[in-house]
Amino acid sequence: MIAFEGHYFDGWQPIGVPARMDFFDREATLAAGPISERHATFDLKVSPRIGSTDRFITLPNGAQFACADHAFFDSLPQESPSEGPVAWLEERWGVALACVVIVICTLLAGYFFGLPAAAERIAARIPMETEQALGRQALTWLDEREWFNPTKLDFDTRKTITHGFDRLRSDLPLRDYYHLEFRSGAAFGPNALALPGGIIVITDDMAKAAATTEEVLAVLAHEIGHVELRHTMRSVLQNSVVAAAAATVTADAASLSVAIATLPALVAQMKYSREFEAAADDYAFRLLKQKGYSPTAFASLMERLAKGAGGETGPLAYVSTHPVTAERVQRARNAAAE
Amino acid sequence: MDYEPDYSTYTLAELLSARDGINREKYPERAQRLDDEIARRPTPQMPKRPPELSLEFRGSAREYFRIWIVNLCLTLLTLGIFSAWAKVRKKRYSYSHTTLGGTPFQYLGQPIPILKGRLIAGMGLLVYYTSTHFITSLLPYVFAAGLVVAPWVLVRSAAFNARYSAFRNMTFHFDGGYLDALKVFYAWVIIAVFVIGMMMFNCPGKTIVEGVASAVFVFSFPWLIGRLKKFNIEHTSYGGKKGAFFATGVQFFEIYFISGLITAAVVFPSVILILVGILFAPMKESWLLTYLVAAPTYAGYVLAYAYLRARSGNLVWNHTRLGPLRFQSTLRWTGLVRLYVTNALGIVASVGLLIPWAVMRTLKYRADNMRVLQEGELTEFRGSDMSAVAAVGAETADFCDVDLSL
Repeated sequence: MIAFEGHYFDGWQPIGVPARMDFFDREATLAAGPISERHATFDLKVSPRIGSTDRFITLPNGAQFACADHAFFDSLPQESPSEGPVAWLEERWGVALACVVIVICTLLAGYFFGLPAAAERIAARIPMETEQALGRQALTWLDEREWFNPTKLDFDTRKTITHGFDRLRSDLPLRDYYHLEFRSGAAFGPNALALPGGIIVITDDMAKAAATTEEVLAVLAHEIGHVELRHTMRSVLQNSVVAAAAATVTADAASLSVAIATLPALVAQMKYSREFEAAADDYAFRLLKQKGYSPTAFASLMERLAKGAGGETGPLAYVSTHPVTAERVQRARNAAAE
Repeated sequence: MDYEPDYSTYTLAELLSARDGINREKYPERAQRLDDEIARRPTPQMPKRPPELSLEFRGSAREYFRIWIVNLCLTLLTLGIFSAWAKVRKKRYSYSHTTLGGTPFQYLGQPIPILKGRLIAGMGLLVYYTSTHFITSLLPYVFAAGLVVAPWVLVRSAAFNARYSAFRNMTFHFDGGYLDALKVFYAWVIIAVFVIGMMMFNCPGKTIVEGVASAVFVFSFPWLIGRLKKFNIEHTSYGGKKGAFFATGVQFFEIYFISGLITAAVVFPSVILILVGILFAPMKESWLLTYLVAAPTYAGYVLAYAYLRARSGNLVWNHTRLGPLRFQSTLRWTGLVRLYVTNALGIVASVGLLIPWAVMRTLKYRADNMRVLQEGELTEFRGSDMSAVAAVGAETADFCDVDLSL
């Protein structure tokens, strides 16, 4: 026999009546002022344990009895049985500590190994066609807003570059998807970019900044690397998973401050972006050597561009999307020396 | 001769304590004057204040930390599926550690309807993501579908939240329907439909119309918020009593306007300062400017946000009634700024481990700044067969029972 003091709520008025409930064998007796009821214990429903708050026992007639928590209530029928084990875990500091370790390890392992590896495999299975519409739309958008203007390069220069580009892609797995586009665009300066679906845009300034065709091809090889390694698709996959994970971890804090949820995701995504650049570089060096060019061309072009831009030093370079130029130049020279 | 006290300057409490301490044999005359003075004072009356239901938040950061980390861990390990259970656990915690008149609130939501709601929301998000990133030609249709679905989402989530919140064995109830919700913001739907139409057919003068439409939208936004609050409160009932809401759109506009001014006041001077910096500083230091711009922008955002939350929170609660209950919210925006900044610092310094602590102190701050005044008898609330907690369980099997509030 066990007894509990608490309050009785009849469900008709929000007023609590001091009450007492006695459990004896399989029967519960409730006494609240003039009310006296008897119920079989298997007809009762107990609210889940949460923290150290009161438990609510719902009686078959719709009334409720509330009282301080006690282990005895776990032996009665539960309102939400699936929460029982969770409540058990939540009460233990040892479990909490283990969870901290598991969460940190899962996040780190997923971030550094699991996610990039999974995204690489999944991206390879998604057909290139899914990206093509997106790439065309992006280019049209840039053209319409006049970020890009028609190229002013003469026909011969373009022909030489296109010819070299065709040689580079001639035996690549995705060779049929490539489109080389020439544009002038002051906003982009000397630049080349890989749009989704295999569209590669090179600006006039970039073609002019390069001393030789080999240097232009070095840049194009880097962009080919982005396409062959499916970086568009991978960044979509990886960034969305990172954003989702960051949102999950900070869900509770999101209502307190928006920046708390978005900033960690942004910082985390920057690292992937830098890795893609490095991977595209490595791919380019291999491709260039295979086609009889030297990665040194890449190094010399980078150095010239860096001088023009005034260099990118300072703490910002660390979190920028492109790896520090000096590092890229060094790796290009190492690749050439191998 | 010792000094003669001037009793007329004494307060009643001082007079009473003087009478207790006086030596009547030695100073009979003075004691007499003291008695006279006390008799002259009006009899003390308790100031007539409406009785109050004490609102308390009793959550502890240590307890909530364990709940938070265990549920987060299970959510990650199940790739998000457990998040429905996690939501239930966390809501249960904050509800049941909030007591009104000594009785905790009860959250009755079940994980499965929440999981269903999350799957639906996830699907919607995927469609939205695909249409913004891959197939942009679909975007107008997705927006249009979103507009059609929005009132339904609003109504369903309000209904779910009300139905599964209980106090003293009586659940809340929300009776707003799809058309009621549509009535709240049909004017804004018309603006949106107009803009989407422009997106679909490349009309001339598109940018001007889009600009005007966005300006109208921004300036009318406070009225939209006011109408949504009114809709939510006036369709929510407890014990047969519907909520009543008195705040007007102009009051919301004032708050949003001032909050906009605060942002401008913080951001503009710093932007000018930075422009001056760009003119005179060497190019090499340009990375520094990025930080210089970010800091005041964020400060302006925090100030404006805290102001908005404090003032609109007070506005809503102080203009809400529920049967015999009146509410008094006394949030101060300076207090919220301090709370937000310390929360953010704590969270960043602990790499997120102090998130539960931040949540708990925010809820406590909210409850500490809220009073529930009782101007009639609680018996004015009358329960029904449908409002008892026991009636909730029977409905959970309903397929349409989804929680769409995220």
